[in-house]
Amino acid sequence: MREMNQIRLGIGPAAFRIASAWRQPLEQLSGLYQDYPAPTDGIVDFTVRLEPEKPWRRYIRPSVHIGGDFWLPDAAPLPLAQGLLAAEMGMNLQMALGWRRHLLLHASSVEKDGKALIMTGLSGSGKSTLSAMLAERGWRFMGDEFALLDLDTGNILPFPRLISLKNQAIGAMRQVAAADRFGPEMKGTPKGDIRHLVPPKPAIERMDESASPALLLFPRFGHEPALRAMGQSEIFVRLTQASTNYVALGKAGFHALTRFVDRVPTKAMDYQSTDQAEELIESLWNQLP
Amino acid sequence: MIQKYRAAPTDDLIWHALDSMTLLFHRPSGITHMLADPAPAILEIMADATLSADEIASRLAAEFDIDSGGDTENIVHARLAELSGLGLVERIPV
Repeated sequence: MREMNQIRLGIGPAAFRIASAWRQPLEQLSGLYQDYPAPTDGIVDFTVRLEPEKPWRRYIRPSVHIGGDFWLPDAAPLPLAQGLLAAEMGMNLQMALGWRRHLLLHASSVEKDGKALIMTGLSGSGKSTLSAMLAERGWRFMGDEFALLDLDTGNILPFPRLISLKNQAIGAMRQVAAADRFGPEMKGTPKGDIRHLVPPKPAIERMDESASPALLLFPRFGHEPALRAMGQSEIFVRLTQASTNYVALGKAGFHALTRFVDRVPTKAMDYQSTDQAEELIESLWNQLP
Repeated sequence: MIQKYRAAPTDDLIWHALDSMTLLFHRPSGITHMLADPAPAILEIMADATLSADEIASRLAAEFDIDSGGDTENIVHARLAELSGLGLVERIPV
């Protein structure tokens, strides 16, 4: 077997080695992640491998199988043109299945005044797009996919990977972010049209800075703007569903999550546009202690 | 023969009250249970003692100033069956 090309990336507290049978996905990754530091000691937490599904599929209708330390046997291979997506999915997968140092919440997060706003919800809730938009409006972007809850301090750590924009969010972000921050447009992926966006510079420069969680929102796109109170029991259950490693962390996860639910004000938020969401968020933010 | 019950050892349980429910983390299994009233009160009353359902019902009635009788006992029986299924209560052969 031919040697694979590889790069190393440090993203927040996690370090990755991405190895690929093809150069193209790594060249795209290197370009988009050029401002990110390499892991200082060269030691990585996870390896992601992009390999041909079968040896001949390296050249003929090349198709990328995602491998690595952790992998799902039934993950469908992607065409080579979507190799960048495969690498990003591979990194997500390693975090979701393997990370144990923090409680991992499937949520986006942004920071202001040292305090973190965390947004979680189902796919399509708009949490990713909202975090990307707020990052262009004075907030520090911390992550659009995973918020890492520190088991000891209760703080949120950034995991500011590339922002994964889907469908209409691509056009919306094109209007506010410089063209050189965008990756290639990938049409018709299993997740729809996808285009990656490099987070604003402060997100990368300050990716080791945690923030105290100050507000948790469950956004829901496409409904009349409204804020709704939620009971602690509902919040707790939905956060366990949003965490990929709550069960694996045992008692430490229980303590971290119950403390989070006790301390962090929470609302369900319906909205139809970013401007509406921003207005609702600012009104809540200004009332925080 | 009267069926007796014993709750999981108190040292194995970590309690946390939420607004409308009570969380119970069971250390040996690593499972988080979410309990509605009166299940937490039943476990609390049982502590580390071995008790029959009737004894639990009368202790509950005394503690919470409710009428002891058919209803309370039926409810206690039903909750004990559920808690046994969850591994939080053990049936003790007498």
